Formats: sequence, C-alpha cells, structure tokens
Amino acid sequence: MGKRKRSEKAEAEAVPKKEDVAPERPVRTLLGWKDKNEIEAKDNAASPVFRNKEKVLVTCSRRIVYRYRHLMLNLVSLLPHCKKDNKVESKETKGATLNELVELKNCSSCLFFECRKAKDLYLWMTKCPNGPSVKFLVSAVHTMEELKLTGNHLKGSRPLLTFSSNFEKDAYWKLLKEMLLQIFETPKDHRKAKPFHDHVFVFSIVDDHIWFRNYQISVPHNESDKLPRGSLDKMTLIEVGPRFCLNPIKIFGGSFGGPTLYENPLYVSPNQIRALQKKKKAGTFAKKVKAKTRRKMHEMASPLEPDEFADMWKD
Amino acid sequence: MELPLVNDDTMIDGEAEYLSEEMSPSESESEEDVKLAEPSKTAVNNRDALLDKLGDISWPENVEWIHKLSIDIDQEQEVDVNDDLARELAFYTQALEGTRQAFEKLQSIGLPFLRPADYYAEMVKTDSHMEKVKSRLLAEKQKMVEAEERRKAREAKRLSKEVQSQKLKERAKQKKDDIESVKKWRKQRQQSGFADDGADKALDFEDGKVFERSKKKRPGVSPGDRSGGKAKQAFGKGKKPKKGDVKNSKFGFGGKKGLKKQNTADTTNDFGGFSKKGAVGGSKKRKR
Repeated sequence: MGKRKRSEKAEAEAVPKKEDVAPERPVRTLLGWKDKNEIEAKDNAASPVFRNKEKVLVTCSRRIVYRYRHLMLNLVSLLPHCKKDNKVESKETKGATLNELVELKNCSSCLFFECRKAKDLYLWMTKCPNGPSVKFLVSAVHTMEELKLTGNHLKGSRPLLTFSSNFEKDAYWKLLKEMLLQIFETPKDHRKAKPFHDHVFVFSIVDDHIWFRNYQISVPHNESDKLPRGSLDKMTLIEVGPRFCLNPIKIFGGSFGGPTLYENPLYVSPNQIRALQKKKKAGTFAKKVKAKTRRKMHEMASPLEPDEFADMWKD
Repeated sequence: MELPLVNDDTMIDGEAEYLSEEMSPSESESEEDVKLAEPSKTAVNNRDALLDKLGDISWPENVEWIHKLSIDIDQEQEVDVNDDLARELAFYTQALEGTRQAFEKLQSIGLPFLRPADYYAEMVKTDSHMEKVKSRLLAEKQKMVEAEERRKAREAKRLSKEVQSQKLKERAKQKKDDIESVKKWRKQRQQSGFADDGADKALDFEDGKVFERSKKKRPGVSPGDRSGGKAKQAFGKGKKPKKGDVKNSKFGFGGKKGLKKQNTADTTNDFGGFSKKGAVGGSKKRKR
C-alpha cells in the first residue's frame, strides 16, 4: 500500500489531479491556498479556480455561562463551514494547545470564546497557522432564542455581508474587516451551503466598537425566482439574531500570541471598571469623617455672635 | 490658645487625606467615565506590520465578488451609541442598502436569490420556537385589543350614565309638569265655578294625551293584595318572579318583625302557592 501511494504521488505531480485517494494537502503559503499542481499549470496571478477552503474551529473555555454558550451555538448554526469542538481547559488556553487543536482539525481559522469570572466574555478570532489574531471583549449579547427577534432563515444559506465605510479608516480596521469577511462568509460551493440568499449580516463600527446584526430578507412573494424591480422596494428586514458588540483589545502578529501589532488605547478591562466602582463606594466613611472635621473647623473659625435672647428663659 | 492647636491637628489630617487621593490620579479621572479620559500612551499601533499581515491573509485580488458577497455602505451620520432607536435604525438602513445593491448585482449576474415559497428546508430556528414567537405576538395583539375595548366600554359607560341621568331628569320634569297642569286646571275650574261648558276649553292644553298612557298592560291588582300583583305575574310572563321581589312587595322593606308572614284578608283563601302533588317540598339535598 505504501509503495503504491508513493508511486501515485510521483505521478500526481506531473498530472494535475484535484482529489486523490490519499489527499494531498494544498500548500499553505503566505499568499493563500494554492494547489501545487495549479502553480505549474497556470502562471498568471489569477487563480482560475479560487476555492474558498475556509474552515472555522469554534470552541469555548470551561465554566462558560449559558448565555454565552447559546451565543456560541447560534454562531455554529450560522456558519456551516465551522467545526465545533469540546471545551478547552482554561489553564492551557493561549499558546500551543489551541494551535495544535486547530491543526488537528484541519481548520484555517478559529473562534475561541473565553469566559472569565462567569461575567466577561472574550472572543479570540485567529487565522491559523501564522495569521494574525485578535482578542475582543464581547458585550450586549442577545441570542437567537429571544422571542423579540422574530426572523428566521434557511440554515446554511450564504449571507450577504455589509460593512460600514468606517472600516477603511485605519489599518487595523482593514485587517479586522478582512478577517471578518473570511470567517463569516460561507464558502461558495460548500457542501452544507444552501442556494438562496435570504439573510444579511451587518458589521458596523460605532463608538469604536464593532456591532453585529443578522437580518432576514423578506419580500412579499409574487414570483418565485427572479424578482421584478417593483417588489424590491417592498423588501423588509426582520431581525433574526444573534446580536453582539465587539470591543477590540489587542491584535497579535501570530496565532494566539506573537508580537502586539495593535493595542486599543480606549479599552478598560471590566475588572478595572468594577474596581473603580467599588472604590467609589468604599470612600464613603472616610468622606463622612472628613466632612465632620471640616464642619467643626468651620464652626470654630467663624464663631457665632452671642445671642441676645439666649438668657431670656434662664432663671 | 486652644483653638490654634486644634486647627493644626485637623489641617494635618486633611493634608494626609489629600495625599492619599493623589496616589491614583489617572483612575480618579476615569471614575466618571468608563473609558480612560486620556488614551493610554503605551498603545501600540504598528500600521506597517498590520498592512503586511493584511497582505498575507487576504484573498487574491481578482477573486470574483460572488465569493465575497460583501458590500460597503457609507455611514453618513455619526450615530450616538446610547440612543438605541437611532442606532438600530442606522444598522437597519445599512442592511437595507446593502441588500438592494447586492440584489442588483446578483440580478445582473443572473442568479436566483430569493427563496421561493415552496422551498422547504431546515431553518435556523426550529418550528417549535417559531410557534412560541407567534403565540407571543398574538398575545400582544390580544392585549392591545382588550385594552382598547376596555377603554371604549369605560367611555361608553360614562356617556350612558349621562344619557340616563338626562332621561330621568326629563321624566321627572314631565311628571312635575303634568301634576302642575292638573292643579292649574283644577284651580281654573274652581275659579270658574265648575261650569260644565268649559270642559272642552279647559282640557285643550292637555292635548288629549292624558288618557293615552303607555300601552303596557298593567295587571289588575286587587286592593287587598299586599304584594301589588307580583305574586300573580307567573302566568303572564311564564317565569316566576324573583322570590325577593315577591316578598319585598308583599311585606315591604323592614318594618315590624313579627307581622311578616301573617295572612291578610285576601290571602287566607289564596291557594296559589300550593301544588296539588302534596308533600314534594323539602330540599333535594336533605338526606332521607
């Protein structure tokens, strides 16, 4: 068997084959995914068959709260090109373990939900193996199970992505936009992808946060496939969910580590916020004592005039 | 002499406290704001490296749009984060604009993009979940409708009360007028010495309607009947009058206690309340 494989491999280099019994992994160069064979076949920069072979690994840490777990599951249902994996032990998070896991599952990016203190959710978005990674703080989470989000769409249909123009303002926004595009857009000929386009994602930057929304496109039906221009105006959007807001903390050069390429100057960690609030409350007693002494001083400094009527009822 | 000593002590205490407060300047600034008032100066923003990485990971330049399916929308106005409605509206308009543009592109390429009505496949939310959503929406609508109805009923009641009171007033007035007119007539007749030939004249102002009372048939009530005819109403209407009514009309409200169930001249011979069948009485629930 082994010998046969080797001989087959030798032949495969000469004859371009797409799928094999022993599949040859496409070489992951820095410039993308290129099948060895195709480099020799065509030399133009245009890859004739650009196949989006994006696979996302979605995992979370242990001790994740139910709300964030539901958010993760919602995202799993939204991305048909993802693989959900078991919970990862918290101590071995950043660094080698996760990278190995991603390699093992043959994925090209990873969404890792890290929940700390059962209150804060951090989302790591990484492009493996060498890619940049981003750590976000997730807030304002609403899952799809909320009854106020009434829309529904096909599971696995390819979404339309809309980005606000703010994403062109700075280098880090551009990088984030590219990562979001690659991770959230279902590959075109994916096995689990369904044909029509009936929902749209919104990524918009407001107040230096990335807000995510997912809407169902609903059009009153007159004809099935192609739509006369007129009814395009009656298109309405119904929110499907989930909703969340990402606050970028840091961008690293490597996957789950590496040199810091960007640090958000306006970011305050939730621990700090809570500490400040506690400090505010903690000073009340000291402030009271201070106020008392101040009052005493004031009274001493400005003595009252002797009251004329003080002795009136004295006997 | 005592005063300055005391002053010194308090001053020292005050100074010590001021010092301790100064220890954390940056944090005290941001006590008001959740964000740091001054952005931390150690922030890294390595634009070149970022752009390098961007070049690394991005797809080749001439990838067709169909793979990306992404639209860039201009965000014209600054949206206030805390104004929920405006923010959501901004997202909605962005999505709407994006879909319009995308659909135009897709139409030009010629691909189907809308789900036909008969395409059934697995949806992202289960049917049972959508049932819950539907029931909640219906419940909300129902609540609104009920609230509307209650309000209308309240208004109508108020109005009807007014209308009723008006009618009562009118009737009372009418009655008063009638009595007045009769009195006047009597007076007139008295004054004119009971002359008979003036009968027609005198009755003119009553317009002949006095004898045309309401055509409701009033049952004949014998003078000795204390219940005012209510005991015999059964045959006329086919329904027994309410027991309380009968008793009330016969025995009145209140009054001497003992006389309530005594016979009158009329009722001694009245056997209407007894049935032929004899001792059928007694509550059915009573054990035998």
